[in-house]
Amino acid sequence: MNDCMNAEIRDQLPELVHDRLDAARRAEILSHVEACAECRDEIELLRAARAMFEAQTPRVDVRYVVNALPLAKPRPVGVQRGRAVWTDWRIAAAITLLVAGGSSVAVLRRDPGTAMALRQTVQTPPVRRADGRSDSSGSSAQPQLAPAAPSEPTPRALVATDAQGSGIGASRLGDLTEQQLEALLGEIDQLQATPVTDPEPVSLHVRENTSGAPEGA
Amino acid sequence: MNQAARGAGAGRESDDQVDAELIARWKAGDERAATALVERHAAALARFAVASGERSDVDELVQDTFVRAFNSLHGFRGDSSFRTWLFTIERRLLLDRRRAEKRRRDRTEIQEDDAATEYDALDSVLADETQRRVRAAVERLSPTQREVFTLRVAEGLSYKEIAEAVGTTEGAARVHYHNAMRSVKEFLDE
Repeated sequence: MNDCMNAEIRDQLPELVHDRLDAARRAEILSHVEACAECRDEIELLRAARAMFEAQTPRVDVRYVVNALPLAKPRPVGVQRGRAVWTDWRIAAAITLLVAGGSSVAVLRRDPGTAMALRQTVQTPPVRRADGRSDSSGSSAQPQLAPAAPSEPTPRALVATDAQGSGIGASRLGDLTEQQLEALLGEIDQLQATPVTDPEPVSLHVRENTSGAPEGA
Repeated sequence: MNQAARGAGAGRESDDQVDAELIARWKAGDERAATALVERHAAALARFAVASGERSDVDELVQDTFVRAFNSLHGFRGDSSFRTWLFTIERRLLLDRRRAEKRRRDRTEIQEDDAATEYDALDSVLADETQRRVRAAVERLSPTQREVFTLRVAEGLSYKEIAEAVGTTEGAARVHYHNAMRSVKEFLDE
């Protein structure tokens, strides 16, 4: 069995057998085939081979195949896959922030001493009245207040400073009554001053001008 | 346009269009479209499986091919035709099966008698003497030549489609086809 010398025609014989040529090309090839014994032989071979492939193949049970297929799930229009991923990340980030913030609040509530110390640290430093009693309200500062040494922290400042560590301030000061607290502060006043190793809290002190000289002279 | 492709493709576009419409209907929830797609392509997949040497469980292979295809159908972009895509999936499954079979045979003794019985049964199906001889000729082709020859002769795929299905170039597919045709002719002339 010889090959036709017209390679272009021969290359399209399978399309001719499967009827996949447009009308013009089909007519062109058919006119060639009428005069070409090699092409006719090859077409016969192609038909025999095609028949052989079909004859040797068992029939497929379509129902058996279809029963195993997944069900169609129509996707909602307008939902972008990438956008969904970004949304997931945002949700995860929000949950992380909520958990972290909630944990911080829970820790602070579990240890009121720490919470009080933090509150006192941010308050205005207490001033001492002329009668030696302390006043924690920042709005009661009066000119008759006795000046405090710049380098000497007030008892409450000491308590506040210590409260950040593990000493007295770590106890539950919030449980004490006002009288107990005053008594405790009085006792602290009687103690020998101990050097403070922690940085002193920044506080403003009002110095009474007794000389009558103008400020800055 | 390639000279060999000139005038070819009539009917192929309409086939692809019908497939695209059925896929769209299935994506919209129409289960009957799935049945229509299986009816259109199951026989071709079975022919390719048998021609590639698959002797048993052809139904199962075709089923696996469709299951994989439908599971990925939402991601099918239509770069190739649906039928070509199915052949690609089936070919991968066939390769996986052969690897598994090879591992199994490495562990157990080869049952030569079983294979001979299957070939004899197949010969009895082919009543025509010419078909038997053609089958014997195709059996002697290399696996790649047999795949290309089957897709070209049995399914009428273009070289471009064959290249996509078997993972080669269009030119290589053409060379494989003509070499296969020459081998078959030589065998029939003996």
